Amino acid sequence: MKPELMTGNRAAASAARLARVDYVPAYPITPQTEIIETIAYWVREGTMDSKFVQLESEHSMMTAAGAASLAGARVFTATSSQGLLYAMEMLYNVSGWRAPMVLANVSRALAAPIVLEPDHNDVLAARDSGFLQFHSETCQEVADLVLLAYRVAEDRRVMLPAIVNLDGFYLSFTREKVVLPEQAEVDVFLPPYDPPHPIRATSPVAKGSAVMEGHLYSYFRYNMHAAALRAKEVFNEAARDYQGHFGRAYGPVDGYRLEDADYVLTMSNSFTTLGRQAVNRMREQGVKAGLLKLRMVRPFPSEEVAALLRGRKAAAVFDQNLSPGMGGVFYPEVAASLYHLKDRPETLLPVVGGLGGKQLTADEMCKVFETMRAVGKGAAKPDPMFLMRADELARAKKALATAGVQG
Amino acid sequence: MFLRVRFHGRGGQGAKTASRILGNAAFGDGYNAQDFPVYGAERRGAPVTAFTRFSDSEITERGFIFSPDVVAVMDDSLVADQSANPFAGLRKGGLAIVNTTRPAAEVNGGRDDVTVLTLDLTRQALDVLGKAVLSASIAAAVARSAGISAEAFVDGLVDELKEVGLSDDLISKNVTMAEAVYDELKPVKLRTEELPAKAELVPFTVVVSGGGSEDIVNTGNSASRRTGNWRITRPVIDYLKCTDCMICYAYCPESAMSVRADGRVAIDYDNCKGCMICQTECPPRAIGSSTEDGR
Amino acid sequence: MSTTTKFRTLKDMPKEDYIAPGNTLCAGCGGALAMRIFHKVLGPNLAWVNAAGCMTIATSYPLAPLKSNWLYTAFASAPAGAQGLRDGLDVLMAKGKLRRSEDLKVVVVTGDGAAYDIGFQSTAGAIQRGLDFYYLCYDNEAYGNTGFQMSSSTPYGSSSKTTPATAAFPYGNTDTKKDLFEAWRALKAPYIATLSNSHGVDFLRKVEKGGTAKGPKLYIDFAACPTGWGFDPKQSIEVEKLAVQTGAWPLKEAVDGVVKHTYVPGAFSPVRNYLRTQERYEHLFKPVERPEAIATIQKSVNDYWAKAAAEEGLKVRLAEG
Repeated sequence: MKPELMTGNRAAASAARLARVDYVPAYPITPQTEIIETIAYWVREGTMDSKFVQLESEHSMMTAAGAASLAGARVFTATSSQGLLYAMEMLYNVSGWRAPMVLANVSRALAAPIVLEPDHNDVLAARDSGFLQFHSETCQEVADLVLLAYRVAEDRRVMLPAIVNLDGFYLSFTREKVVLPEQAEVDVFLPPYDPPHPIRATSPVAKGSAVMEGHLYSYFRYNMHAAALRAKEVFNEAARDYQGHFGRAYGPVDGYRLEDADYVLTMSNSFTTLGRQAVNRMREQGVKAGLLKLRMVRPFPSEEVAALLRGRKAAAVFDQNLSPGMGGVFYPEVAASLYHLKDRPETLLPVVGGLGGKQLTADEMCKVFETMRAVGKGAAKPDPMFLMRADELARAKKALATAGVQG
Repeated sequence: MFLRVRFHGRGGQGAKTASRILGNAAFGDGYNAQDFPVYGAERRGAPVTAFTRFSDSEITERGFIFSPDVVAVMDDSLVADQSANPFAGLRKGGLAIVNTTRPAAEVNGGRDDVTVLTLDLTRQALDVLGKAVLSASIAAAVARSAGISAEAFVDGLVDELKEVGLSDDLISKNVTMAEAVYDELKPVKLRTEELPAKAELVPFTVVVSGGGSEDIVNTGNSASRRTGNWRITRPVIDYLKCTDCMICYAYCPESAMSVRADGRVAIDYDNCKGCMICQTECPPRAIGSSTEDGR
Repeated sequence: MSTTTKFRTLKDMPKEDYIAPGNTLCAGCGGALAMRIFHKVLGPNLAWVNAAGCMTIATSYPLAPLKSNWLYTAFASAPAGAQGLRDGLDVLMAKGKLRRSEDLKVVVVTGDGAAYDIGFQSTAGAIQRGLDFYYLCYDNEAYGNTGFQMSSSTPYGSSSKTTPATAAFPYGNTDTKKDLFEAWRALKAPYIATLSNSHGVDFLRKVEKGGTAKGPKLYIDFAACPTGWGFDPKQSIEVEKLAVQTGAWPLKEAVDGVVKHTYVPGAFSPVRNYLRTQERYEHLFKPVERPEAIATIQKSVNDYWAKAAAEEGLKVRLAEG
């Protein structure tokens, strides 16, 4: 297909249509609305052969999504932020049912205080739910990852639902060039969904049964973990196939200017573009900077992270999320991936930034590299960085004063 | 002195309460004590397990008792019940107190390395309380065997029954019943030895080499649970009086009644829980009852 | 909606059982009996969608009493599970991916905790969307599965684990039972009925009749609970019968919103005769009788039937207040 300008939201909807999804249960939330509005329109104008139903909450939406998947329908839905949290109970159920539907999450920071712009506390709250997670940097990636997600999720070796994450505003409402795959090619890449025990009149099945004994529960949870781990090799297989069909190559992680890099910034999602910009700037200054992007978040690509960070002088983990009382969520995951390496980087710098969509400048990102360099070999544990510019703090203080509260 | 007691009962017989009475009694006698029930999916009539530990030193154990010194089996049908398996892990030289009318050799779980004490507690409970609730009497049997003082036992019993919300009248009947058991028995000197057990861990790769979802494809397979074991009272149809009105069939919550080829109703004793709705509702009074063990 | 019936007496109850024996529920469980009868009328091809409650643990891996399909969802969203299942089957059939012979009737089964409280929103959504499904609420008037805490279905005067009768609160629960029938009726479901297992022919006919309507078919079954209510399991049907005969549990239906009582006791038995059968009301009689509380309950029953009598032109001989 010829390239066109489209938002991340439209890319997600377009990929769902290309996947020939049967069923889309929905519930609106900013900034996801364009996805379900687009699909609703396509279904009603007859250009998308799916059933679209608007539920009365995300909790119900996710229940309906999982149940339809168990009936043998290919299911797509989308939500964001509070909506994902409201549905959270059902995420664990849907993965426990081994119902491989795909959910687009449009990242938005969590209340309180309420805010519309992104960070990743929403999608990372679903980190332990059993959903596979693929995070996108560009609108093109959104479309491609939705199609890849179906292929991986529905694979009999996996049979787990998946989340494709796209940042609110920075992808959801941003138009940029996207090349959509041809339908005929997608049909070859993505075979029809064929689950092992769908709910049927002639072959009844009990699903979601109570499992009252710990050893049985452990057995099923271990198997879910194994299936999630297998998803990486299945993804790699699917990605090779995808590249053959559509030319674009995807791995669990992406390296940028890593060949000889001494200082590596690890990050995910749309602000990765700003990270690349900072790498280029540092390179211009003669600093051997590089970037490691996490695309696959569950399963966590520990081996790839280890392979690409080993032997570096320093690495930083940029977390656009915050676990109060601990710090960033990715930091310990990256650290754990490196723990057993003798040649792990001496310094692993924790960085938290971009919360609630706080804008990031290339200067700020360059400061991260400068801090990495400053923390010398053998230095004490580096202080975590919490990005906030002086002008921003001044504005915040002014706002507090206006509110009549001491800052 | 460290005693681990595992109670096996059927839901409604009072295994949990027994474990708490014993816990109270031991605590009252100056021991450190710990008690704990296991809740499963099961209901009235289904196997229930509860535990009491007491010791004159600090208790550093918790949770399920795998190697009890004493097992208290409140229903002899549990001896052969795979899911209850009351003799599992009972220490060599340990004590099994079994509520039964059968001889000890028939209810020893095939173990000749333990002492089996048999008591007919059901008869006594039906006589004194009018129903087969055995918490007080089984706790009395264990407490006496373990050498707990009569005073601490009765105090512990009364405290627990008050906590459960029993009327003063029922409490005093329970005390009478329990004291009779207590007085009949003597302390048992136990010298127990843990059975050799080996925890063999299975590698993760072996655990996960095939399992997937928890689908049940063999739907309608629950008859193998054999809920007929829960039954205390057995409904018996007098076919001479039966008018084939089908009211008993209609009101059986268990699907434990079927209509035979000759059009007559039959009871599936493997699965009938003995709720006795059929007896109550039978218009011609054609369904009688007998207790399971002919008591 | 069909008015003919194949059910004249209990002898007409279908002889096929679709629920195998061996569930883990209490002996004498009213909810289990309701499911068994419901299934008989609807035939083999069902998909039950369940919310957390007693029926959830009846299917305990690896043993499944139901021969038909079963899906446990969550406490709050069984009707949404029914929506997904119904929609999934419909879209697959519409696309020619599924033979019509694989079609299923979708039945939500929940206790009153889910129906009256935590799942109310999800139910309202499914009704408003006109979802073609059955809803069987086995109403044991409290959270039975967790040990009998009050729900918004718990009647005035009942004790529960969270509304115990004490010296300071001698009546137990003093809130009134939520009128789920009327709440559902306000949402304009085509068929709503109350059931009592004790009135089996009425039960059979209502399930049969509802089945001829398209859209939400909603049933509230009075499900006697020997464990929670405190009576001998053998009295299960008797207790239900008393609830109907005293007027405490009216048997009625609403067809397209028009309410009709399907059984009117010839002479109403005083409600105290029903209350006395259960330990959950014991504090109203012992250690001292609480005539004012019993009178309050009797009055609410009488007020209910006086209104129904006026609206439907029924002749009722109410018990003394």
